[in-house]
Amino acid sequence: MIKVALAGQPNCGKSTLFNLLSGLKQHIANYPGVTVEKKSGFVNFEGHDIEIVDLPGTYSFSSYSLEERVAKEFILDEDPDIIVNVVDASNIKRNLYLTFQLLEIGKPVVVVLNMMDVAKRRDIEIDLKKIKEMIGCPVIPASGAKKEGKEDILRAIIETSKASYTPFKINYEELEPYILEVENHIKTKSPKNSPRWLAIKALEGDKTIHEKFPETATIAQEKRLEFHEAYDKDPESFLAATRYDSADVIYHKSVVEKSLTKKTLTDHIDSIILNRWLSFPVLFLVVFLIYQFAIVYGYKVTDYTWPLLASFKNFIIAISPSPDFTKVPLITDFAIWMVNSANALLNYVPIFLILFALIAILEDVGYMPRMAFILDRVFKKYGLHGQSTLPLVLGGAFVGGCAVPGIMATRGIADERARMATILSVPYMNCLAKVPFYTLLLGAFFPEQMGLMMFFISTITIFIALIVSRLLTSTLLKTKETSPFVMELPPYHLPTIKGVLYRAVERVWIYIKEVGTIVLAVAVVLFVLLELPGLSKEQEAGYEKRSQALLEGFYAKASKTKYKDDLNSKQAVSDLINAYDDYRAKRMIISPEKAAQMDEKFKADFPKEFMFIKPSSEDKDAMSINRELRKLSRDRRSILQDIKNDKIESSLLGDIGRGLEPITKFAGFDWKINVAFLSSFAARESAVATLGTLYENNKADNMRAEEAMSKHSGYTPLHATAIIIFMLLTPPCIATMIVVKLQTGSYKWMLFAIFFPMSLGVIASSMLFTFGSIFSLSGVEALAVFYGLVVALAIILATIPQKRINWSGGVNLN
Amino acid sequence: MRLDKVTKKGTKCKIKAIKAKDALRYKLLDMGFVEGADCEVIRSAPLLDPIELKIHKYLLALRKSEASLIEVEVL
Repeated sequence: MIKVALAGQPNCGKSTLFNLLSGLKQHIANYPGVTVEKKSGFVNFEGHDIEIVDLPGTYSFSSYSLEERVAKEFILDEDPDIIVNVVDASNIKRNLYLTFQLLEIGKPVVVVLNMMDVAKRRDIEIDLKKIKEMIGCPVIPASGAKKEGKEDILRAIIETSKASYTPFKINYEELEPYILEVENHIKTKSPKNSPRWLAIKALEGDKTIHEKFPETATIAQEKRLEFHEAYDKDPESFLAATRYDSADVIYHKSVVEKSLTKKTLTDHIDSIILNRWLSFPVLFLVVFLIYQFAIVYGYKVTDYTWPLLASFKNFIIAISPSPDFTKVPLITDFAIWMVNSANALLNYVPIFLILFALIAILEDVGYMPRMAFILDRVFKKYGLHGQSTLPLVLGGAFVGGCAVPGIMATRGIADERARMATILSVPYMNCLAKVPFYTLLLGAFFPEQMGLMMFFISTITIFIALIVSRLLTSTLLKTKETSPFVMELPPYHLPTIKGVLYRAVERVWIYIKEVGTIVLAVAVVLFVLLELPGLSKEQEAGYEKRSQALLEGFYAKASKTKYKDDLNSKQAVSDLINAYDDYRAKRMIISPEKAAQMDEKFKADFPKEFMFIKPSSEDKDAMSINRELRKLSRDRRSILQDIKNDKIESSLLGDIGRGLEPITKFAGFDWKINVAFLSSFAARESAVATLGTLYENNKADNMRAEEAMSKHSGYTPLHATAIIIFMLLTPPCIATMIVVKLQTGSYKWMLFAIFFPMSLGVIASSMLFTFGSIFSLSGVEALAVFYGLVVALAIILATIPQKRINWSGGVNLN
Repeated sequence: MRLDKVTKKGTKCKIKAIKAKDALRYKLLDMGFVEGADCEVIRSAPLLDPIELKIHKYLLALRKSEASLIEVEVL
C-alpha cells in the first residue's frame, strides 16, 4: 500500500482533484481530537494499492492555524510515503511558496499543476520541463474540473514510490550555518523525518516542532537571537522572503503570461459585486434567492415528498396490530409516535438538499469570502466575523430558516472565537418549525395585529443573536483564539455539477445519520414519559362504558338493515372501522388518477368491508351504514383524543410540567405550556401538536385549536406574548444540539447551548410578564417595549470597543 | 507609511516591514507580505473596512487594523 498525502493551498481545486483520484470510495472522519474533516480515498491502479489522504488546504506549513497544525502532525505521525502537492496553474507563484516547504520535509513530492484549462484560457504558458528541472520532482499537468490527468498522476505516484529519493535543498545562504547547528542538536534521529526540515522549522519558531522535539527549543531560540543580531532580521521573515524570491525565480523562468495587463473576468465581476453602491443590493439579492429557492420552493417540494412519508406511516400502521375499537395496543401507539418523529425530521430533507447544494455552489464560485468582505465591519463589532453572514441567514434571517444547516456552514470560519460565537448564536434565529406555533398563538390572541406581531418576531431574532454573540465573546469565549482577517478573494470559478451534488448529498446524509439516531432516542424517552403511568382503573372503566355505548348505537342502526347479521359483534365493527379509517387516510394522499386503482386493491383486501366503505348508490342499506360509519369514526376519534389528554395529564411529563409551574408561573406559563415546550425538544413541530391535543377539547364542536385556546385557556394576550418571547429564545431542538456537539466537538458546549437559552427565555419572559402585569400593558405593547429594549441594547453594545487577544493584530504598536 | 493610510485606488506600494507579532506575523508572511514585495490597493469594502489588495498576482482582503501593522513605501 502506498500512502499519499494530498497537500495544497486553498482554492487550488484540491477537493475536485481528490474526488477525481479516489472516485466514490471515500472514508470521512475527523482528525484526532479536532473538528477538521479528514477524507481518505482508496484506489487500485495497475496492481498497486494507493491510499490518498486529503490534508486540509493551507497556505503554508507553519503552525499558525488549526489546519496547518493538523496537516503537519499528520506528516510527522503518520509518515506518508509520498506527498502530492496540488498547485493552481493560474497562480503558480504563490502556490510554489507551499511547494518549497513541502519539498523540504524530506519526502518524495509529486507536483500536480491543476486547473491547466484555466491557465490556458488566460493565455498563461507554462514550461513544465523547466519547472521539473528546477525543483527536481515530477510535474504533472491536470484539470480536476475537466477530469484530465488522473492516470498520469497515479502513474507518477507509483513510479516515484519505486525510484530512489534525492533530498531537495533550497540554499538559505546566510542562515545555513545556523540550520546546521540546530540540526546537530536533534537527538531523535528517526528515518521518518528529515533533521534539516526539523531544524528549519525549529528556527522558524514552530511550536509543534518545539513540543515534539524539545531539544530543539532552547538551541533554536539561541540561534534566532544570534541571527537577529548578525543580520537584523528574524529567521521567519528571512525564510519567507527567500521562498517567495525562489518562487519568483521559477515563475519568471518558466511562465509566460501574454495578457498580463488585460483585466480578468474576476476583475470585471468584482467591479460590480464589490462596488460600493451595488454590493449590498447584490448581497440581498443572493440571500433572497437562496432563501426563496431553499426555504420557499423547498417547502413546496415537501408537498410532493410528504405523501411518501405519509404512506410510510400508513405502512407502519398497517403492519402494527390494529386497535380493538377504542383500545389501541401500546406497540401501535409507539410505532406511530416513532414514525411521526422520524417523519418530522425527514420532511426537511428536500429543503436541506437544495440549501446545501446552493451553499456548495456559492463556495465553489468564490462568493463566500466576498460576502465576508462586505459585511465584516458590522459583524466584528459583535465578536463575529464576516463569514458569519451565511450561517445566520440560513438559521433564519427572515421568517424562517433552520439552525442545522446554519451551524454546519460555520465550518469555514477562520476565527475560532467568532466560529464558536456563530455556532452559539445561530439557534436564536427564526426556526421554520416555530412558525406554525407563532401562527397558532397570533391567530388565537392577536388576530387584528398579526402582521405587526409577525414583523416583530421575524426581525428581533438577528438583534438577539448579535447580543448573545457579543456577550459570549466578552465572557465565556474571551480566551478563545481569534484570528486576523486576512482572506484571499479567489478568482471566480464555475462549479461542477458533480462536485456540488456530491457535497450536498454528503451533508444531508450526515444530518440524517447523526441527527436521526439521537432524535429517535429522545423520542423513545419522551414516549415513555408521556405514556407512564397511564390511565387509572376508573378512567379506563369510564372509557369502556363510552365506547360500549357507541357500539350499541351502531348495532341498533345496523340491525335495521339487511346486513344486521354481519355487523353485530365488536370484532366485526372494529375491523370495519379500522378499514374505513385506513382507506380515508390513504385516499387523502393519493392522486385522483390512482384512486380507481386503489379502490380495486381495497376491494381485494377487504372484500366484506369495502361495500360499506364505498357503497354503491343502489344499495340504500350500505349507504346508511356508511353514514353511520362516518359518525362512528368521528366519535371514536374523540374518545381516543380524550384518552390521550387524560394520559398526558397524569403522565410523568405532565408531572414535570406541573413541577416547573412554580418557576414558570412568573412568565404566566401553566403546566400545559410547559409540557408543550418539553415535548417540542424532540422536534419543534410537536409543540403545536401537543398544544393542539391539550386544547382541542373533548367536545366534538369542530372548534379549531386557535379558537379553543383563546376561549378555554384563560390566557390574556400578555400571556401569549410571554410565551412567544420564550419561544423566540428557546428551546433549541435536539437536532440543532447534535450539530452544536458535532461542530464544537464538546458535550459541554452542547449542554450550555441547551441551558443558557432556556434560562434566558425564562428570565426574559418572566420579566416581561411581571412588568407587563404591573403596568397593565397589552400584549402588543409589551412586545414593542421588549423589541425596543433589544434593539437599543444591540446598538449600545456595538459602540463599546472589544478587546481581542492571542495575537497582536488590531493593537497599534506605534 | 502605514498600509491602512493608503486609500487611493490603484496605488502601488512596496512592503518595507511587518510590525505584527506572533500568529499574525506568520500569517502575513505566509500570504506574501515579505520585504520588497509589491502590492496594489484595489478597493475598500463598501463600509470602508476591510480593504482589498493585489499581491503576488492574487487578491487579498484584510482589515485596516491588520493593515496598520504593515509599513510600506508608495511607488
